[in-house]
Amino acid sequence: MLKINKSSFNDFLTDIMRYNELVAPVKTDESRFEVVKDISMIQMDLHTYFPAKKFFFKKHQTLYSAEKNRFTVPELVTDKKQRVMIGLKRCDLNSIKRQDMMFMKETRDPYYTEERERTILIGHHCNQPFDEYCFCSSMDLGDFYDLMLYDKDDAYLVEIGSEKGRNFVDRYRKYFWDTDLFLRAEDRRIETKLQLNKRDISQYYNNPDWKKGVDQCFSCAACVTLCPSCYCFDLYDEVDAKLSKSEKKRNWDSCQLHCFTKVAGGHIFRDTREDRFKHRIYHQLQYFKDRHGMNLCTGCGRCIRGCPTRINFIQILNEMKEQA
Amino acid sequence: MPRTKTINQDQGEKTENPYLPRPTKITLVRRESPDCFLIRTDLKSKYEPGQFFQVSIPGIGEAPISVASYSQDFLDLNIREVGNVTKYLSKLKKGDTLFIRGPYGKGYPMEKLFGKSLMLIGGGSGVAPLKGILTYVDQHKDSFGDVTIYFGFRTPDDILFKEEMKQWRRKYQLNMSVDKNPKKAKISCDVCFITNLVEKAKLNPENKVVFICGPPVMMKITIELLKNKGFKEDQIYISTERLMKCALGVCGHCMIHGKYTCLDGPVFRYDEISQDRND
Repeated sequence: MLKINKSSFNDFLTDIMRYNELVAPVKTDESRFEVVKDISMIQMDLHTYFPAKKFFFKKHQTLYSAEKNRFTVPELVTDKKQRVMIGLKRCDLNSIKRQDMMFMKETRDPYYTEERERTILIGHHCNQPFDEYCFCSSMDLGDFYDLMLYDKDDAYLVEIGSEKGRNFVDRYRKYFWDTDLFLRAEDRRIETKLQLNKRDISQYYNNPDWKKGVDQCFSCAACVTLCPSCYCFDLYDEVDAKLSKSEKKRNWDSCQLHCFTKVAGGHIFRDTREDRFKHRIYHQLQYFKDRHGMNLCTGCGRCIRGCPTRINFIQILNEMKEQA
Repeated sequence: MPRTKTINQDQGEKTENPYLPRPTKITLVRRESPDCFLIRTDLKSKYEPGQFFQVSIPGIGEAPISVASYSQDFLDLNIREVGNVTKYLSKLKKGDTLFIRGPYGKGYPMEKLFGKSLMLIGGGSGVAPLKGILTYVDQHKDSFGDVTIYFGFRTPDDILFKEEMKQWRRKYQLNMSVDKNPKKAKISCDVCFITNLVEKAKLNPENKVVFICGPPVMMKITIELLKNKGFKEDQIYISTERLMKCALGVCGHCMIHGKYTCLDGPVFRYDEISQDRND
């Protein structure tokens, strides 16, 4: 087993920053993943309020520009530095895995793939759940990382999860030490207080208790914006002032917004707030699983933490009674 | 300044970027009705009836349009002017460039249906995808049993494919209706809803498959009528309409209860989605 001593951890990070773009959890007004300029800002323990998805699946992406029937795409894969992302929690890492499935497996999205391929993912295991909204232990999360760090007294134990991770260790070998310490099964586990008791929610679609959540929902889409897994987007055209050049853009979109399913002519398929609220939960806990064998939700709790009315859909589901 | 790369598609340069549309030349524009027109482009590639293309006007947007033909030499798109993109498309002329991506989605599984008798029920611009089936049947005459057609339109002015209609009337059993006839035009079809014609008809479900495409209410009523007449859900194919942005099975707009209309549809065998709530 390898370890990094905490006493040399800052040197390690400084060394990474010299040739790479270092991204880590920082806290300013809110906690988020940012490109690090000053390593004293890094807070490894932080479970960020905002997800890390913006580094791969960008909030705004220009797909191409068009001028007189000629298309120009932003140059992909160039001399951009390698990016090292550190401090990702198990939920964050699993969400990246799910987004990889959508943007690199279902269809090869060049914009996402470029950002993803130049990134090394270094996880940081939570010894304790961050707060009462975390429920990752009911979501069957897998191992998905290039390197994973386990906080153990005065050192981080290191697990290697990929070829990319192994090469990275070789490059920074002087910071990694062999150790007799090892990880027990319980060192890898996170026991969250909040738990989803129902694995299969297919029977609950017409349950009247959905009302508890729907009544408090503003359709504000904060849950989707803060979700590290949600991947739905909008495409639209933007024209310059002379109307001679246009750009095709991609933005994050949300199934919670009323116009999300609006077709030409004005019909809206998911017209009621209840339709939209349930659609999100079912996509997270059933539809994605039917298609890809795993929940889209990774239990990070951001949608509950960031909801203006703190709708706790886990609690709502747990309290739902089976109908005759 | 970010670096960029220009794709010269007019010089045959290819790209694997799934979002980039490719240029085709318009070879024919034909006005079909006050709000519908047909565009033919010189696209030479394979597609199936029931599939769709993303038609794009740079600077305006993209719209999913279902194919209304079956050929490897050209592509017909029947377009109804209902939104921004389609209104702009109506201004295009012969010789203009039309940008398209596709074909996308699952079409009608014609090869699997060899030996069956076919029934086509279409309402309004929902007739367009069914037109491709009829061309397919023309090219595979001996592979299918008899073909019965039920096409309904709002008024006589709204009747689409008037040229083709004459041929279809000769070759197949064509039943047509208009909802109303406000100008009292001379017409050789019934004035009623197309669903009334289906209701009155004596239909034998044996060895038959039905294709339905039209407004949601018309499809719903037709399916009920057919089920009452002894048709099973797996004999019915419907073509669904949803908002489609990426057409790649990612953006999420077209999702119906976990199924992507752009990947798993737009043509569904009815038993595949009949259990699904309309969300």
